[in-house]
Amino acid sequence: MTDTTMNSNSRDSNAEVFFPDPLPGQERFVASLDQTPLKEVDSIDEEAPATSMWADAWKTLRKNPIFIISAILVVFVVLVALFPSLFTKQNPVSCNLENSLEGGGGGHPFGYDLQGCDVYARVVYGARTSVSIGIMTTILVTLLGGLVGAIAGFCGGWIDAVLSRVTDIFFAIPMLLGAIVLLQMFRTSTSIWKIVFTLTLFGWVNMARITRSAVLEAKNLEFNTASTALGSSPMRNLFRHIIPNSLAPVIVMATMSLGSYIVSEATLSFLGIGLPSSVVSWGGDISTAQNLLRTNPSVLFYPSAALAITVLAFIMMGDAVKDALDPKSRTA
Amino acid sequence: MSEQTQAESMKSELARQQVANGPLLDVKDLQVDFTADGHSVHAVRDASFNVYPGQWVAIVGESGSGKSTSAMAVLGLLPGTGKVIGGSIKLHGRELVGLTRKDYEDIRGRQMGLVPQDPMSNLNPVWRIGTQVKEALVANNMDVSREKRSQLAKMLASSEDVTLKGQDDELFIASADLPGLMDEARDAVTKAGKADVDQAIEHFRSEWDPGSETRWGVARDLIAAGVDDDEAWAIAKKYVKGSDMNDRIAGLLSEAGLPGAVTRARQYPHEFSGGMRQRALIAMGLASRPDLLIADEPTSALDVTVQKKILDHLQGLTDSLGTAVLFITHDLGLAAERAQHIVVMYKGQVVESGPSLEVLQHPQHPYTKRLVEAAPSLASQRIISAKERGQDTRSLMEHHTKGEQALEKSEHIIAVEHLTREFKLPRKQEMFKAVDDVSFSVKRGTTLAIVGESGSGKSTVANMVLHLLKPTAGKVLYEGKDTSGFGSREMLDFRRHVQPVFQNPYGSLDPMYSIYRSIEEPLRIHGIGDNRSRRDRVKELLEMVEMPSSVMGRYPNELSGGQRQRIAIARAMALNPDVIICDEAVSALDVLVQDQVLRLLNDLQAERGLSYLFITHDLAVVRQIADEVVVMQHGRLVEHATTDEVFDHPQRQYTRDLLDAIPGGKLSLGLD
Repeated sequence: MTDTTMNSNSRDSNAEVFFPDPLPGQERFVASLDQTPLKEVDSIDEEAPATSMWADAWKTLRKNPIFIISAILVVFVVLVALFPSLFTKQNPVSCNLENSLEGGGGGHPFGYDLQGCDVYARVVYGARTSVSIGIMTTILVTLLGGLVGAIAGFCGGWIDAVLSRVTDIFFAIPMLLGAIVLLQMFRTSTSIWKIVFTLTLFGWVNMARITRSAVLEAKNLEFNTASTALGSSPMRNLFRHIIPNSLAPVIVMATMSLGSYIVSEATLSFLGIGLPSSVVSWGGDISTAQNLLRTNPSVLFYPSAALAITVLAFIMMGDAVKDALDPKSRTA
Repeated sequence: MSEQTQAESMKSELARQQVANGPLLDVKDLQVDFTADGHSVHAVRDASFNVYPGQWVAIVGESGSGKSTSAMAVLGLLPGTGKVIGGSIKLHGRELVGLTRKDYEDIRGRQMGLVPQDPMSNLNPVWRIGTQVKEALVANNMDVSREKRSQLAKMLASSEDVTLKGQDDELFIASADLPGLMDEARDAVTKAGKADVDQAIEHFRSEWDPGSETRWGVARDLIAAGVDDDEAWAIAKKYVKGSDMNDRIAGLLSEAGLPGAVTRARQYPHEFSGGMRQRALIAMGLASRPDLLIADEPTSALDVTVQKKILDHLQGLTDSLGTAVLFITHDLGLAAERAQHIVVMYKGQVVESGPSLEVLQHPQHPYTKRLVEAAPSLASQRIISAKERGQDTRSLMEHHTKGEQALEKSEHIIAVEHLTREFKLPRKQEMFKAVDDVSFSVKRGTTLAIVGESGSGKSTVANMVLHLLKPTAGKVLYEGKDTSGFGSREMLDFRRHVQPVFQNPYGSLDPMYSIYRSIEEPLRIHGIGDNRSRRDRVKELLEMVEMPSSVMGRYPNELSGGQRQRIAIARAMALNPDVIICDEAVSALDVLVQDQVLRLLNDLQAERGLSYLFITHDLAVVRQIADEVVVMQHGRLVEHATTDEVFDHPQRQYTRDLLDAIPGGKLSLGLD
């Protein structure tokens, strides 16, 4: 390496003060004060409104068209599920074979299926089964998975190791396969709970993993150390700081997976191991209509469309909530 | 004497050349806008500055002043929605505003290099360091066999004793040819008999790095060692025949100050420390010998001593290559120390510019004056609190120590004795001693600062004093009582009297809690008062830290770093503690805000007789706040004395190094 020195300024001269002649264009310049008025150091804008994380998220959500559309759809589907009689006067299970495969018209917009049941009425009444299974499973999964994940993340050590291995074991069982095996035992039961419990049993693992990592992350944040130093107990920290700060990913996960539970229920019913055909459900109807795909596709189309729209609405809502709660994940 | 006149004449020759050729970079009335939600924000307004060949120019400003934005505009690398909407940027007289992406790519690297701010995220973790340097060379089609010199460097080199004779004089040594060259050099020096042979060979060994030293340099060194001119050139010609890619990569790395460059080139970024990564980035920035190097806060993330070493090295390197440097920094002292010309930016505008010492010593614009006053590296004494201004520090300390109850209580409010903490390292048998037999005590009403570089164990000490971490050995005494024996009641009481303020103003407040809830939390934990009295107390505390009570309903994300830190101080003050432990409490803040927070801490101490344990890596800050200093290195206490003692008569070499490294610490300044 060459060691030519050309230190042209006075940085080496410690004591003597030496001003070299400035080069052209580098003469002394001072802006006038009125051009850049000096502000108070670190001043606070007192006008701005206060926003908490939830308020902020709500503000973002309100402006998001995807959220508005999906929310309207979700509210509509829930209304249908709660009060099906408001939407149809027909009874979905009083069928007349005379009407078999008759086209739509009159008070029966979607026509009749092979058994002579009103398709519209069946779609409306099927919503209850699908939506309640979706919501119930989500609640149970969130409680069970959340609890296991939170304990594992918060306690750490051998408790974490044991719980994580248990989670891994469940994770290794394919959900559909496990559900098929389990539901074989309760083929005749008409209760939706058998589906809910089965889906929960194989679905809580994902939630546990997400909660565990969220809790681990929140646990290591400095404000927990700060509040420990203030004299706060670990339990207080858990409930006052860690859980509220790990809720966001859990909520996102819950809304997103609600749709997939509805799909799973439909899949199980389609396979004939879900709810028996005496219970009105979209999955069951799709299953019975599959033979008519070439001759009467409309009978297959309506329950499928209802299922697709409902699932899409929940997943879109989950996506919008995710964007609002975690602005970083948005791609510009 | 002759050397000095030679240096003088070179200086004037350089200045003459600079004036004759005009500025290398000429920025005029630059305007940069960012658009967000349909609004445009003026990030840079009417900024003008220029850089001459071979010159260091510094842009100084706080975060958000537009200093980095201006630099990125020059590089054509404005992030996101940023756009140059007016003004001109000329490099070598060529207009850069409005250039196509392709044209800009040709200029970047070849004519302008960048040393980015964060050494941790700017290297690709899955590639070897050497591969990344190679990329910088290949992308710019560099000839790796010979040095590419700027005209300025050639001109200056020609004023030396040994002149460049031909194009091939710029060829590098190859590692394969080095042993032969060494042998023949030894013979030649021995034959000439004018210099001490071993010494000369030692010198050659350190200078002649393959891929970095040129034929011309070899000849010059041989001539300097007494070898006859013609023979020296003959030897140089015979052995120095150009290097290959691997030699050049190693050469670049060793130029940037990485010893053992051949091995280093084969390592991955995670095997490098922060300082080493920054050196690798410097090697990459200079790989294609740009005329202008833009250094964006290149050392802000590093310890001061490392910063000094790296900048010294960079300065030597750019001086010998004739590279101009546009140096972006928030530290006025550092800027004045390194650059000839300073540009001070505030809110997107250039508020003052001029020769660095002149700006520093006679600041004209009120903002610059503010900066000079606040810069800790330039401050020469302890901040005097608002209440006590006018009294000398000794009587101030006496006042603190005398306090009403001080007689009944012990003189030392916190004492640590033989504190040791070991950690188990992964995959290793022996324990790592983070803190090794440290003892000191904090006198009531005074400030003790613990200074050290990252990894010195200072924060570990703070955590042990706070009882967030158990010591392996030794004890912490509070009011003369061993804290390890405290039951839960006593511990709660201890927590009430000893409060922390942490480094990261973004992490130490719960983002889900409003400011009111955050400050109220300690009162709630300790069951003090009812809702109403707590609200009054929070208001009082906010007033104490000079914040309006309207912020109570706000959330931390709406406040700036300094404001959050003031909230953290208010929270720490809620329980009327005796001791506050500040763990790098002001390190993340801009100078002006840092100064504001330090003054606040100081005023609180004077009013309430608080004792502080102040953990920092910044000796300059220590001078402003501390009465006593403990210097730590590798977990050990190396020096413990009063602040004046440490600054005026440092006993240990390590302390002297730390003091030397304070940027701008030696510059004299006169405030008018």
